[in-house]
Amino acid sequence: MKFDAVVIGAGPAGSASAYTMAKAGYKVLMIEKGSEPGAKNVSGAMIREAVISKVFETKDLPFERIVKRVRLIFKTRENETEISVKPKDKLYTIARLKFDKWLAQKAEGAGAVLITKTTVTGIEGQKVITERGEIEAGKIVIAEGANALLSMSLGLRRELRSEETVLGIKEVYASTRDEVAKRFGLQGDEGESWRIITDYPLPSAGFIYTYKDAVAIGIGAKVDEITQRDIRPFELLDTFKEPYSELIKGFSLREYSAKIIPENGFPSFKPCEGSIYVVGDALGLVDPLTFDGIGPAVISGHLAGKAESCNAYSNSLYEASEILKVMRSRPLTRELLKGDNLSLYIHLVTDFSLSWAEGDLSKLKYYKNSLGTILKHLLLGLEVVQ
Amino acid sequence: MRVEERLYTLRYKRDEKPHLEIKDQANCAKCYDTYKSPCITVCPANVYSFTEGKIVISYENCLECGACKIVCPFNNIIWRYPRYGLGISLRYG
Repeated sequence: MKFDAVVIGAGPAGSASAYTMAKAGYKVLMIEKGSEPGAKNVSGAMIREAVISKVFETKDLPFERIVKRVRLIFKTRENETEISVKPKDKLYTIARLKFDKWLAQKAEGAGAVLITKTTVTGIEGQKVITERGEIEAGKIVIAEGANALLSMSLGLRRELRSEETVLGIKEVYASTRDEVAKRFGLQGDEGESWRIITDYPLPSAGFIYTYKDAVAIGIGAKVDEITQRDIRPFELLDTFKEPYSELIKGFSLREYSAKIIPENGFPSFKPCEGSIYVVGDALGLVDPLTFDGIGPAVISGHLAGKAESCNAYSNSLYEASEILKVMRSRPLTRELLKGDNLSLYIHLVTDFSLSWAEGDLSKLKYYKNSLGTILKHLLLGLEVVQ
Repeated sequence: MRVEERLYTLRYKRDEKPHLEIKDQANCAKCYDTYKSPCITVCPANVYSFTEGKIVISYENCLECGACKIVCPFNNIIWRYPRYGLGISLRYG
């Protein structure tokens, strides 16, 4: 059997790619290894409507809640400071199974054929090999996710190193819509998203997202920190969760999941070779500052779908603001996580707030020696926003 | 909360053919002595354990995150995706 294009993986990147090509009139086959699209996918998750709507009509997007407040919490063992932001952009919390299914249906609606429960085991020339047989394709798009076995077997990229990989783990606690609203003080469709940056027991970033009738709570930490300090991922989650136990008290645990988050990738990883294209997490396109991978996935999938050649795809990645943001955030994130830098900042923020509240700023003199480091990060930060 | 209680919440369909395999158990024994088997530490689902001088893999509990392969000092884990839609199926994701 022959298709104009075969897309491997029906996540956000794969569906965006299949949708783009099907709309342009190509005969597209999308192959998903899970029982249905989204069944193997994990995120917090929050999306920006403005990014998704660059590719998809978002009128019927199956969101959980509209994020009315983002809380950024800096936490040391003893203290914490919270910054609360009302986002200007339209942010949604989403559950991946519903969201990924919706995206795949958009691709099917445009004419792409989806087969699920089928694993691609190899690519030979223009042939895509699965456990059910082989398919020939004019163009092959690999949207296989962060654990990119195919891309690695083809030599398009290498394995991630433990110092450039974050392990995220997550739990979902369900209750009723009213109870979730009550605990977070929400009205109607309103939702909240929390980011908790902490250095205890190790540098990590936690999150809390409100779903319709559930709360997602999780944490991400660098894989090398986890192994070096010999802390089990679920112990880290339990330590992190402890102060928030009242929020989910009486709720029932519905799901436990885990995911690796790449902190390196394109342009160190090759985006394509001949007529084989790599998109989304497989190409390492996750913003390490915000952990946003869905936006860059959709954009890269769309660009690969549109591209007439490998060169054109590579160039278009350099021109897309969502992809540039990921590339620019990496040096700053690497710096922030180096040595005790993260600790320095968390303590600076909490000490500053505490000193201010107590009317005594003399404590801040201890940071005088760190001025050089802080200036360097400020300059790197400017590069991110430029 | 125990890991097992967490895993009870999940829908799994077991692939008879393990999707995780060890290349060479001799390296695992060396790794346990030298590096304390980072695959055991990093795994969020207690898939790996070291018993009687060998790494035992409970692959049917795997969350399919892929962290074990990244931390293995001997590149000693053969990692395949489960076949036919088997393995884990998430509801929220």
